[in-house]
Amino acid sequence: MTAAVLKGPPVTGYSLAFATPLAAFFVLFFLAPLLLLIVISFYATPELQSFGFDQYVKIATDGFTLPVLFDTLWLGLQTTLLCLLLGYALAWCYVRSPGSLQKLLMLAILMPLLTSVVVRTFAWVVILGRQGIVNSVLAEFGWIDAPLKLLYTRGGLIVTLANVQLPLMVLPLITALQKLDPNLEDASSALGASALRTFVKITLPLTLPGIVAGCLLTFAASITAFISQSLIGGGQMLFMPMYIYQQASSLQNWPFAAAISLVFLVAVMACVSVFNLLGRLSRAGA
Amino acid sequence: MELSRRHLLGSALTLSALQLFPGISQAQARKLVFATFTGSWEEAHRDVLVPAFKKATGQDVLLDAMLSVDQIAKVAAARNNPPIDVMLHDPGPALTAIGQDLVEPFPVASSKNYKDLIPEAQDPMGPSMFFQVVGLTYNPEKIKTPPTSWADLWKPEYKGRVGITNLNSTLGTGFLVEIARMHGGGEGNVEEGFKAIDKLKPNLAAVAANPGALAALYQQGQIDISPGNFNAIQILKARGVPVEFVAPKEGAIAFKTSIHIVKNSPNKALAAQLIDVALSPEVQGKLMQAPYLVVPTNAKVKMEGEIAKVLAKDTAEMKKKFVFQDWKKINENRAAWIDRFNREIKL
Repeated sequence: MTAAVLKGPPVTGYSLAFATPLAAFFVLFFLAPLLLLIVISFYATPELQSFGFDQYVKIATDGFTLPVLFDTLWLGLQTTLLCLLLGYALAWCYVRSPGSLQKLLMLAILMPLLTSVVVRTFAWVVILGRQGIVNSVLAEFGWIDAPLKLLYTRGGLIVTLANVQLPLMVLPLITALQKLDPNLEDASSALGASALRTFVKITLPLTLPGIVAGCLLTFAASITAFISQSLIGGGQMLFMPMYIYQQASSLQNWPFAAAISLVFLVAVMACVSVFNLLGRLSRAGA
Repeated sequence: MELSRRHLLGSALTLSALQLFPGISQAQARKLVFATFTGSWEEAHRDVLVPAFKKATGQDVLLDAMLSVDQIAKVAAARNNPPIDVMLHDPGPALTAIGQDLVEPFPVASSKNYKDLIPEAQDPMGPSMFFQVVGLTYNPEKIKTPPTSWADLWKPEYKGRVGITNLNSTLGTGFLVEIARMHGGGEGNVEEGFKAIDKLKPNLAAVAANPGALAALYQQGQIDISPGNFNAIQILKARGVPVEFVAPKEGAIAFKTSIHIVKNSPNKALAAQLIDVALSPEVQGKLMQAPYLVVPTNAKVKMEGEIAKVLAKDTAEMKKKFVFQDWKKINENRAAWIDRFNREIKL
């Protein structure tokens, strides 16, 4: 058998030349635009005449851009936490369900991915509106006198984003939970650990890779969800995607839009590194 | 130019290629492309303008619907070989396009219809093809007495019922200028407008991110009254949503929607012909009918139907009831206003 394996060239020995089409694609459609974006961000004025650090100075000193940035990241964190809570429960149910129910559950989990995000968001407009499903149910039971304001609120936005991004959280969690050997949990409880202790000491650490992957995907998707943010959040809440759009499109201020895009990009990459680091640290600790 | 061997060889190759593949030279002379607006505008132009142009010239025109800002971005990215021949713009973007030198003057002297446009619509850098009109829209099932003035939005009985949009849109910015004017300001000074919006806060049910979102809010009963675009309301009405439009007594805001020949267009002559057809009383008269209800700019068009009923019976009344804003002045300050709106109207 060893002889057969050694006959052909080793898989890693293929020439890197095969990767050139992919590399060219990335250089052309990712690297080049990114470089262009960096160059544009160093123009001093929207008229693109002279170079300078003006845009970055403005970001640091205008006392507005940075709060919008942090608020956007905070929104992402809130959504991710809600998603994790709902997603973990859902993934748990899925893994423990019998086969036929699993098929139904998987359909339910994947359904949002098969619908356009615009349609999903409009559905939430219908759910959260003054005459929406939530308000009419509450009014039917006589629990409220006047309709609650749910649409165009932060709470409404977080719930919507959590729903829209839920599949991104659930799918990695399901994979992680399925890989978990049920014997480990049985052993833990046989040795006298409570259900909670088993969960905290066994299940949670072992599914951590899934949690980190799910959180990363959800976080990245919810901070950049331009459509949901503007349709459910409205014009009074300003997050980075809308801010960039406003500067680039309505004001044609490309240098500032480019600069805030890059700052946003760097901030998101920093958050992602922190997520990864936390994952690695807690794995080492467990 | 120095004639090098390489140059000669290059030219010779090009020439022989043209001989071999005559399709190349034809591919460069592409069809006339008109970048209209998306949605009902595209439909209206497909139904009325395209056939009229075909009848007048025997030529086809390709409609490529996109937002003004996208038109500008596309043309600016390929100045020497623009993918569009004719652009359509709201007043703000029109000034941007002219300012960036993306626009060719319209040959006024050879145009049959230009002189019949009402004076406000005449501009050699881009005559207005139609007006968009912004007034008050309301839900007649919830609001029994029709509003008559912008000031009605501040009435205490509309607490939590009013919708507005932010300043990203022409509508949102135009509305701010008009309420500033109501309090003694105008294009140059919107201080009072911002103060008024601040006072409007208890009444606000929604600050939409774009005018299109207002439509969904009427359908959901989230808002019952808001500033609104006449044409957008007609679409909602046609779908059975209970909404009505009134021109406020201070005057309805009229935005000139101008049509421009793109600089360096390979189809300049045809582009000018298309614009002339678009300005003709025949095309504008047809576009004024239901379901399009596009407000004409040619004084020879006799106002009829919904437009005559709700907006103006003739050009003279139109001039009295429409407010045209100075977008040159607005553009100077718009960035600062958007900045301020971002800060002050935030939740």
